[in-house]
Amino acid sequence: MSTRRGFLKSGALALFATGVGGVPTFIARAANSNKIVSPYKKNKKIVCIFQRGAMDGLMAVTPFTDENLRAARPNLFMTAAKASGNAALIDLDGRFGLHPSMKAFEPLFKEKRLGIVHAVGSPNTTRSHFDAQDYMEAGTPFNKGTSTGWLNRAIGLLGHEAATPFQAVSITSSLPKSFYGDNAALAINNLQDFAIQMRGNPMAANMAAKSFEELYDQTSSSLLSKTGKESFDAVKMLQKSDTKNYKPTNGAVYPQSQLGNALKQVAQLIKMDVGLEVAFTECGGWDTHYNQGVETGVFARNVNDLSEAIAAFWTDMSAHQDDVTLMTMTEFGRTVKQNGTAGTDHGRGSCLFILGNDVNGGIVHGNMPLLAKENLADGRDVPVTTDFRSVFSEVADVHLKIDNDKVLFPEWDGKKIGVMRA
Amino acid sequence: MKKHFQTTLSLLFLIASLTIFTSYTANETTNNKYSIKLPYRKSGLTERQAAAHLLGRFTYGATPKQIDEVVKMGLENWFTQQLDADVANDSLNNLLLPYDVFTKSNKEIVNTYLDGGQVRRKAIKEGLIPLDSSGKLEYKERKGMIDSFMKANGYKPVNEVERQLINQKIIRAAYSNNQLQEVMTSFWFNHFNVSLTKNNSVRFVPCYEKDVIRPNALGKFGDILLATAKSPAMLTYLDNFTSVASDNNNNSEEGSKRLRNLYAQQKMLTEKGDTGAAYKEILQRIKGFKNAQGLNENYAREIMELHTLGVDGGYTQTDVTSAAKVLTGWTIFPMNDEYGGGGIRKMIEKIGEEKFIQQGYVHDGDFLFSVNKHDKTDKKVLGNDFSGKDGYNEGLKLISILAHHNSTAHFICRKLAAHFVSDNPSQALIEKMSKTFLDKDGDIKQVLVTMVNAPEFWSKEALREKIKSPFELSISTVRALNAKVNQPYQLFNWINKMGERIYYYQAPTGFPDRARYWINTGSLLNRMNFGLAIASQRIPGVSFNLAALNDNHEPESAEAALRIYCKIMMPERNVDETVKRLIPLINDPAINQKIVSAAGKTAPPQVQENNTMMVEDNMMISDVGSGNKKVLKEKVGKKNNTNYTVQDLMVKAGDKSMLSQVTGIIIGSPEFQRK
Repeated sequence: MSTRRGFLKSGALALFATGVGGVPTFIARAANSNKIVSPYKKNKKIVCIFQRGAMDGLMAVTPFTDENLRAARPNLFMTAAKASGNAALIDLDGRFGLHPSMKAFEPLFKEKRLGIVHAVGSPNTTRSHFDAQDYMEAGTPFNKGTSTGWLNRAIGLLGHEAATPFQAVSITSSLPKSFYGDNAALAINNLQDFAIQMRGNPMAANMAAKSFEELYDQTSSSLLSKTGKESFDAVKMLQKSDTKNYKPTNGAVYPQSQLGNALKQVAQLIKMDVGLEVAFTECGGWDTHYNQGVETGVFARNVNDLSEAIAAFWTDMSAHQDDVTLMTMTEFGRTVKQNGTAGTDHGRGSCLFILGNDVNGGIVHGNMPLLAKENLADGRDVPVTTDFRSVFSEVADVHLKIDNDKVLFPEWDGKKIGVMRA
Repeated sequence: MKKHFQTTLSLLFLIASLTIFTSYTANETTNNKYSIKLPYRKSGLTERQAAAHLLGRFTYGATPKQIDEVVKMGLENWFTQQLDADVANDSLNNLLLPYDVFTKSNKEIVNTYLDGGQVRRKAIKEGLIPLDSSGKLEYKERKGMIDSFMKANGYKPVNEVERQLINQKIIRAAYSNNQLQEVMTSFWFNHFNVSLTKNNSVRFVPCYEKDVIRPNALGKFGDILLATAKSPAMLTYLDNFTSVASDNNNNSEEGSKRLRNLYAQQKMLTEKGDTGAAYKEILQRIKGFKNAQGLNENYAREIMELHTLGVDGGYTQTDVTSAAKVLTGWTIFPMNDEYGGGGIRKMIEKIGEEKFIQQGYVHDGDFLFSVNKHDKTDKKVLGNDFSGKDGYNEGLKLISILAHHNSTAHFICRKLAAHFVSDNPSQALIEKMSKTFLDKDGDIKQVLVTMVNAPEFWSKEALREKIKSPFELSISTVRALNAKVNQPYQLFNWINKMGERIYYYQAPTGFPDRARYWINTGSLLNRMNFGLAIASQRIPGVSFNLAALNDNHEPESAEAALRIYCKIMMPERNVDETVKRLIPLINDPAINQKIVSAAGKTAPPQVQENNTMMVEDNMMISDVGSGNKKVLKEKVGKKNNTNYTVQDLMVKAGDKSMLSQVTGIIIGSPEFQRK
């Protein structure tokens, strides 16, 4: 009978034995221990994308039947009517239309895997990017002193120890606030860089790697020796896979963009079964004060990149789709009225996208009022009718089975709105 | 003859007394000026080991032979000199000449360095480009117009400010003779953090470091606290410049609730079809909310939580709100006529500066106390009464109370001890330092002296237990190698990669000051790769001469080279273990030859010639070191011989030599991460 231990000894060891320096220590440890936490256990995974700069939710998902919006945005408004000669919105439900550059989202929405939440945001009325991002990533909109990020707290609530160094990975050059905290989290900008490097001289690189491993193994600083072990384990795990020549599944084509590359690397990590459970990445360019464009232009390019990258990721996930939920977030929305330079200024509510097989998809959730002036926040912005914590905590609860909302979002005890299928 | 004997005798006497005197000053006595008495011998340290520990903690790393210098002048004397921070810095000042942002005032910077939006608005206003130019003008055409507009008006792009800020910091940290002052400047900058991620602070950051932080870095705590409170960088970063007296603001949870209530009531009345007096009243109140700027508690909270008392320092939410009221009207003196800045100027023109002051306004450099924005109610903060009539003096009183508070003494001393002694300093040490802090009016020098006079500073728990931050690692490498940095931004890219994007830390907390934050899987690999990259001269604009570090003596063997360079890079450390682990690798002839031949086969690394400018870094200083590289490239060419000597390894293979490889491993080694 093939026990899990047997598998680890035969399969996993064989898999890693040929790398520089041999077997990753966590595998060896697991193989010699009775309480095995297999890195191959199918844990659920969550992927978060932060759209920094505040996305105009009204242009991404437009309530196109609202005449108030047409009046407020004479140069920016689009309809779903195909006759107008210009590219039309993709009609989702007779009331909301998706920006035509996001057509990659249409099938996902129709298949009910993609859910949208509108008029979502922070209860804190700040319109500062700095504060709002900080509040959202900390998960405490009225407490600036919070030193931990909500995703780091989520890692601590998963109910099991990290089996590998790859439990929480941010594909960014430095650790985002969401990952601040006591639980180990990794920031990697580029998987290909994740090795000991000597340009054009692999022999020397090998020797250096061996030397470093020896030195970190013997150091009296436990932090350095422990992290050193983790690092070399991680390097060995990655070394076995050809990160340079990665071929996405099902012909998925990622856009050649920062976000496309980041999501491709998340997909690689998931498919490599290296123990990834929480992934994070980000994209910028959403602060469209000036000439944001309509069917073309900077906003259209951004949402095209966003939707193409996410759709490619989903295609690439194929067999792993049941395990993965992806969610976007942005710090706030933008003014209902266009401003004097054909753009929009900082506002309040925006929209976010959630993708996964356990998502209550095919629906625009939330409560978007008619955009008559009297319904607007401060007479100008989409009011926040859904607290971001409501959505974040529901995704964490349903997908990652985290039920301690008191720790995840300490200041919050509001209602959930059914964005996930329980 | 007799006379001669006498002379000899007195000379001998002189020498003897000098010798006694030297050792006396260096080891045993109290230095009078600051009463420094370093108890390192009790911890079993030699004088040289003690010097190494001092240099490790109070500089950005020892330069070669610096331990000799410090021992020669006496450890206490060296520390005194660093506390005084008045060593001449001529060569540094020469290196800093290209960074002209630092010769300018806040006002000059604000009016010179513009972002894209500002340039466009100005260009549109002056009719240079049409208002709705999108679609009508090609991108190139528009860009050309904007570029020439900027040139004609002497405007420069704002990211130039960011680049110069970063570059000058790297140069200062690497080459300042007043190392402690530079270390303390970083410490206080991080403590009173402001960030380049906040757009409206960016242009104030150079003067913030130059005029607010550095001059006060070794002064009184109350002075630096007040200077930061009045600085445009802090006033914008933590929003106090917009904080004005008002009940109607929706920036607090309470205010936000009130506004939501108003909306609900309005909705109810609308549904009932009631548009009478009650409805109009509600509309009016909503409008009030919309137009009103109001109280912003951001700075009031952080000055207590992060700058002085600490989060558990004994203040309440009511204290925060009241402190915010005390600080209403603390704002920036307008630097141009944009955003209503002309109003104040016109007012001063009209009534004269004297009358302006009489009315209760305070104009101090870039700072403005705007009395008409100040909350004139009476307040109570931390049990102290503030009369609403006292205006600017209320804020001064508050800041003085905070600066001298018992909680502040403990909070600041804990942070200092965590920075200089260990991540978890003992309570006993914090108490000693706090006592000095309170007794000596927050004199930072005296607090530091108490710290180095304490046995805790020299204890086992402290030695080698602090881990260098990525910035400290990079700069200590530059210093240990005696390297010339011509393109500091290239180093910044590595520092960023290793996890410390200096000046861009978003949160007002500053970077956490503990090893756990810096050492993670990704960052540790980047540290090792940094070591390999810099040692093989693959970081453009950073050059050095490894042979010169050993006075151009050729080591007898690879093993000797390893031992010698370990000692040079990590003086007074026990390197036996490091050497032991690396010797087998170094002595493997197969590896050596393969490395050298591999190095020969691949093209020489693309070292940036020093007379070409990098796009990212046009702050070139001089063409130092280009001669070296030409020599190396020539020698790489001759590589047919397979019998390599150590000399071959060191020179012929150029920057891929065994010696540079060893140096890279030393820099990436665990021992070199510790300070």
